[in-house]
Formats: sequence, structure tokens, C-alpha cells
Amino acid sequence: MGARVVITGLGVVAGAAAGSHRLADVLRGSTMPASEVDRSAGYHLPESARLAVLTADLDLSPWIPPGAGRRMSPPSRLGVAAARMAVDDAGLTGAVDGPRTTVVMASAFSAVDFTERLLRAVFLEGPETVSPFMFTESVANAAAAQIAIANQARGPNLTIVQKEAGILTAIGRGAAEVAADRADYALAGGVEEMPPLLHALLDRFGALARPGSPGGEVARPFDRFRSGSVASEGAVVLLLEDEQRARSRGAVIRARVRGFGSAFDPSASRVGWGSDHVALGQALGRMLARAGLAPRDVGRIVSGASGSLAGDRLEARTLRQAWDGSRLPPIVAPKGVTGEYGGGFLGAAVLAASNGEAGPAGGFCEPDPELGVRPHEGGPLGPATRTLVTSLASGGAASWLLLESV
Amino acid sequence: MTRFRDALRSGSTAIGPFDRFDNAAERTHVAGQVPPQPRNFPEGPWNRLSNSDRFALFSAQEAVEQAGISTPLDDRAGVFFGSSTGGLFETELYFEALLRCPASRPPRALLASHSLSSPAETVARRLGARGPVETVSSACASGGLAIEQALRALRTGEVDLAIAGGADCLCRTTYSGFNSLRAVDERPCRPFRVDRAGMSLGEGGAALVLESVEHARSRKAVALAEILGAGSSCDANHMTAPHAEGVWAASAIERALEDSGIDPDEVDLVNAHGTGTLLNDDAEHAALLRVFGERTRCIPLEVTKAVVGHLLGAAGVIEAVATVLSLLSKEVHSAPGGGEIRYAEFAGLALEGTRRMPDMRTAVSASFGFGGANAAVVLRRWEES
Repeated sequence: MGARVVITGLGVVAGAAAGSHRLADVLRGSTMPASEVDRSAGYHLPESARLAVLTADLDLSPWIPPGAGRRMSPPSRLGVAAARMAVDDAGLTGAVDGPRTTVVMASAFSAVDFTERLLRAVFLEGPETVSPFMFTESVANAAAAQIAIANQARGPNLTIVQKEAGILTAIGRGAAEVAADRADYALAGGVEEMPPLLHALLDRFGALARPGSPGGEVARPFDRFRSGSVASEGAVVLLLEDEQRARSRGAVIRARVRGFGSAFDPSASRVGWGSDHVALGQALGRMLARAGLAPRDVGRIVSGASGSLAGDRLEARTLRQAWDGSRLPPIVAPKGVTGEYGGGFLGAAVLAASNGEAGPAGGFCEPDPELGVRPHEGGPLGPATRTLVTSLASGGAASWLLLESV
Repeated sequence: MTRFRDALRSGSTAIGPFDRFDNAAERTHVAGQVPPQPRNFPEGPWNRLSNSDRFALFSAQEAVEQAGISTPLDDRAGVFFGSSTGGLFETELYFEALLRCPASRPPRALLASHSLSSPAETVARRLGARGPVETVSSACASGGLAIEQALRALRTGEVDLAIAGGADCLCRTTYSGFNSLRAVDERPCRPFRVDRAGMSLGEGGAALVLESVEHARSRKAVALAEILGAGSSCDANHMTAPHAEGVWAASAIERALEDSGIDPDEVDLVNAHGTGTLLNDDAEHAALLRVFGERTRCIPLEVTKAVVGHLLGAAGVIEAVATVLSLLSKEVHSAPGGGEIRYAEFAGLALEGTRRMPDMRTAVSASFGFGGANAAVVLRRWEES
């Protein structure tokens, strides 16, 4: 990266919490705020997962007027609210308009609810009954576009879709725009909704924790008895800017974006994780080297491990490969509390990088001897240091972000 | 690519009646459907892929073979794709079965390629790319933005080789959706014409192999064209309607020219977004006037969508391919559809047959999408000297 890029704003609607302080509380509590998914449409199979971390009960009206929210899909609402929080958090309310603000958002599944409703109309009532509103808000870039409209951000507007890896890529690309002086500000992050249909389909693919597994339907990152993730919805948006600019305006800097890297594992199937931890570990090592660092320079890891059998195995092996037998730094696994999707783990990573706090890995009970990884048990992480954020995706993509405490 | 070049030259359109799905109840009944696979199409993995994945893999494989690059690729190769539908056609088949009987278990294989990232991942998986794999899904600007992302990755040294592509399929969601907006013409689209009445949807894939000049020279590759630069912007105005005065569409083109280090006066050809909708064509006309001023009258314009339809997330890439072919042949391809041109400044639209342009050197390819996403790429004919 060129110029130093820092995070001065954090907007969070994740972990069933609105606001970064609320997310911090949830993380400290280490209990996943999951609730029952509406199964009345009948998409769920009898033995299916039941829980998800949802946002339906959150009051987003301080950040998005109800009238405006009604004209948006759920991902757009979540994204606009989180972006507004990030802008406010950075002390830039009303000041990010114009061609020098870029928006880079990621989503793994986009607007599933509106697409479902559109297709219901097509199949059950005929295509002439399709609502134009449903269609225009069903596109993948609706959230990014609505964020741009809400903030009058007229710089490059990008939506990245790379399953679980997309959100870190969005941060990396947003930071690159600022570093190259193509933008003064970047609003970058990720958004996801978790309607019943998507929840049911993830379950049909065996991605979600099993209700009948030991201890019940719980996400257990790196645990011996993990059986899948717990799905979640939400949005996390970071405001990124040049460090010199931030300092000159007296902004509170949460962390510095020190590096970004991504890679692909061709051994992955279309819906599964791959097995080439050697190549991924080497790619991670190269990412650190490009930042002028080695694994020993990383003080903590905020892992994207979600409780997936194969995903957590690949994550653990990749980290061990990159560290090449050396002792791994503390590993925080927030998806045991925030759930998978919706960006909660990114919010947790920024909090860990900025204040050194991290809660225990919710759901973790017993180490998996095959993994050789034991997640952080909670409490202070130690003095200011560098935080590696990881996200391996089903389908083969992988991305890493390196944050630095300031 | 040979067939595509012939189609561009022919003055005919691939848009017509189609049977990808039952469209009897739709308001319109034409689209640019990719023909069924020829009998000699390679056996094996192709048939298990979604339509979009097939389009992506076929085009990427053709591009890599033409570039003389052996596979598997390595960790210095990245894949940057645009897509707005991914495997949505197959997802719809799954969902329709589920809707008829929610407790049923339709074949999960239909959903395996649902993600918009599937075309890029399929290409990377099959060609063995281990570098960054990124899918841009910013509606109809996705392809142009994917090229921009690939270019950035090359410039920063993140990759030595980038496959920049796009793939999208015809499906009910987009067909019914655009029809709900009354944005689809009942006849094949006629961009920039007085009697235009909307767009025509298409499907397909396209891919470019991008590498630095030094890298291409080191392996003695034959370059087809040079990407001078790219730029993008956002209207931040409305989810579907473009900014009427084309201010931010113009900004994307101006950013691309600035990134390329050239003046508007150096542009010899514009491959327009040219959807054929009333508002889009008006806005693009305004944008081009902003960038090129009175000189707009002198710049030939081509509209690839009149030949193959609107490929949505892949449009920016297939139009970049068309632009490269124009630079190679020094010809402006025709704009089928006939009819009087709406804008006096667009007299340079090649209406019937191709037009020779012996001095053609530099071209702009522009893409504008839902949500106000705008992208532009500047290409130059490759001259070894």
C-alpha cells in the first residue's frame, strides 16, 4: 500500500446489536444472541437448524428514517444504517459527499428475500405482477448504491461477491483506493440478510450447526464437537482515510490498515472448502512479507473460523503452515458469538485491534486435537500490536487483512 | 472469437425469439440467447456447470489458449470477473420445485453455482489460478469494473497475469424484472434511434488475458491491444434512473482518460453502453457531449448490445472485446436495427455494415449500471514500436 490508511469510523449492525459499543458488550458476554428462525414457509426440513442471529428487533431509526427504510431491501437498510454509524463515528457527518468518497461493499448472497418474493410472483401469479421495486432492490449492489445515495458519495462504487472472503477484500480494495489517492474516504464493509429461505438452503447444504449435536445447535469454532456455523445477518462498515488527513482533523484512529492479501485454492469444490493449506499458508506468508513483516510480528489473530468442520480445519492448518511450527499468537474466534455472515467478526476484529479487548470463543468447550488450535479464552489481549484477520471461503477464495494498533 | 467478430461485421443481430425458459406470459419475447452447444462441444465437466459458469469457462479458456499460456496457472495469476446473475437460472429451477412443494428435496446440484462468484471460481478452479479471485457485482457496470480491478492488481504487482472477464445468463429474475420496469423493447433493441423502445437482454461470457508489457514481451506473446487506463464513479442519484445530465457517467470516462494520461482529443472510437432505453441513451448522449464536446460528431460510435443484447454483468467485458476487435481490424462495427438516429451528434454510428477507420488508434468502452455505477476503459491498438 502507498499512503498509510486508517480506520476512523466503525458502523455495526451485527451480533443482534446496533452500534459498536453494543457489539462489544455482546462479545464480552460470549453468548450468541441467536433466536428462532421463522419456519412457517415450510422450506426447512424437519431435522433442520432452527437458530440464527437476526436483526428484526433492532431499532435502526436513529440512523435511517423509517420512511426511507421502507423503500429499501433489508440489506440496503442494514448497509445504510451501518454506513451512517461509521460516518458519525468518524466525526464526518454530512462531510463525505462528492467524487472523492468511494464505496466498496461485499455480500455473499445479496438480497435473497426480495429475489424470493419476485420469483414467487413470477411462478405463482405471472410475470406481469412483478414489482419493479422488488427487482431494483434485489440486485447485488443495491446496498452499495443506497449507501452512495444516502451519503452522496460519487466516487467508484463497487460490490464484491466472494462468499465469506468478500468482506475483507472489500476493506482491502477500499483501502487501496485511499492509499493510491484516488479517494479521500472509503466506506467499506459487508452486509447480509438471513431470511428463512436462505437459512433453510444453508441448512440443506449442511453448513449450519446441527440441533442434535453435543450441546445443541451452537457454533463452536475450533471445537472438537463443532458441527457447523450459526447463520447471522447484519452489516459492518468502516470509514477509511489517509492517516495524515485523519490526524490533521483530530480524528480518533481505531486502527491502521497495514496489509491485505488474497488467494485461491483450486482444490475446493463449488460449495466446499479446499484442502491445500500449504499453498494458502504460503500465500498468507507472502501477504505478510509484502507488508514488510513476518508471522512473528503478528500479535493476535481474529479468525474467520465459524464452527465449520472443514472450514475450521483448513483455517487451523493454514495458520500452522504460515507459522511453520512456531507458537501461534492468541487466536480470537468471534463467530462463536456473532455467527457467520453479516460482518460481525470484522467489527470484533476492529475492536480487538483498537482496544485490545476480545471475548472468549462462544461455544468452545474442548480443543480438537486434529487442529492444534485453542482460541483465546477472553480478557485483555495485551499491549498494542498487529492483528491478522482471516477469512477462508467455501468455493476456494481466501483473504487476509492486517490491522495495526495506533 | 472468430464467430463473434463475424457477427459484429455482419450487420445482423443475435436478438430474436428465444426458448431458454417459457416466456409466453412475459410482456416481450426476444433476447440474445447463446445457441445450444454444438455436437462437437467437449464432453466432461461442461455439462455439470451452470450456464453462466459454462460461458465463463469457455471464454476464459479460449482467451488463455489464444494468449499461448499453459495451464495450470499459478499464484501470480488472478481472476477478476463481473457477474450479476451467477447461477440464477439454475437456482430458479430449484426454487420453482421448492415452491410447488416446500418440503421436497430438489437436486442440490442446481444450487451449487448459485453464487455470483461461481463463474470466477469456476475459471480459477479449472485453470488453476491461485492468486486473487474477485467477483464484481455492480449491475451493468460489473464487467468494466472487473477490468479496472484487474488493471489495478497488475499495476501494483499483486499479479503478473489477470483474467478479466464476465459471464451472465438469461433468467426469469432479470427478464421479468426489466420487463416490470417497462425497460425491454418488444423488438430487438435499437440504441440511439428515434424509435428506440428499450433494451434487449442477452447472455454469454467474455474474457481478456491481461499482463504487463514487460511480462508479455518476456514470453514473446503477441499483444492484441493495450489497456491504457480505467476509471469509475457513481451517480448517487437513483437506483435505476441515470443522472439526466450525465455528469457522473462523464466523470467515469474522464477519470479513465486521466488514468490513461491522454486527452479526449486522442479518442478515435467510443464503444457506447447504448442500451436503447429512453433515459439511458439520453444520459449517455449528455455524458459524451460533456467529455468530447463538439468533437462528439466526429467520433465513430459502436453499440455492441444491438448485436448480442445486454449481457448485464458481462456487458463491459464483451464490449471491451468488441473494441479490441475493432482496433485490430481498424473497423467500426455496424449497429443493426435500422431507423433514424435520435441525436445529431451521433452521426458517427455505423448503421449498415462496417466502416474502415485506417487511423483508428484509441478507443473508450463505457458501462453504466443500476445504482448509478459507472465504469470506463481506455484501449489502444498495440504497436510494437
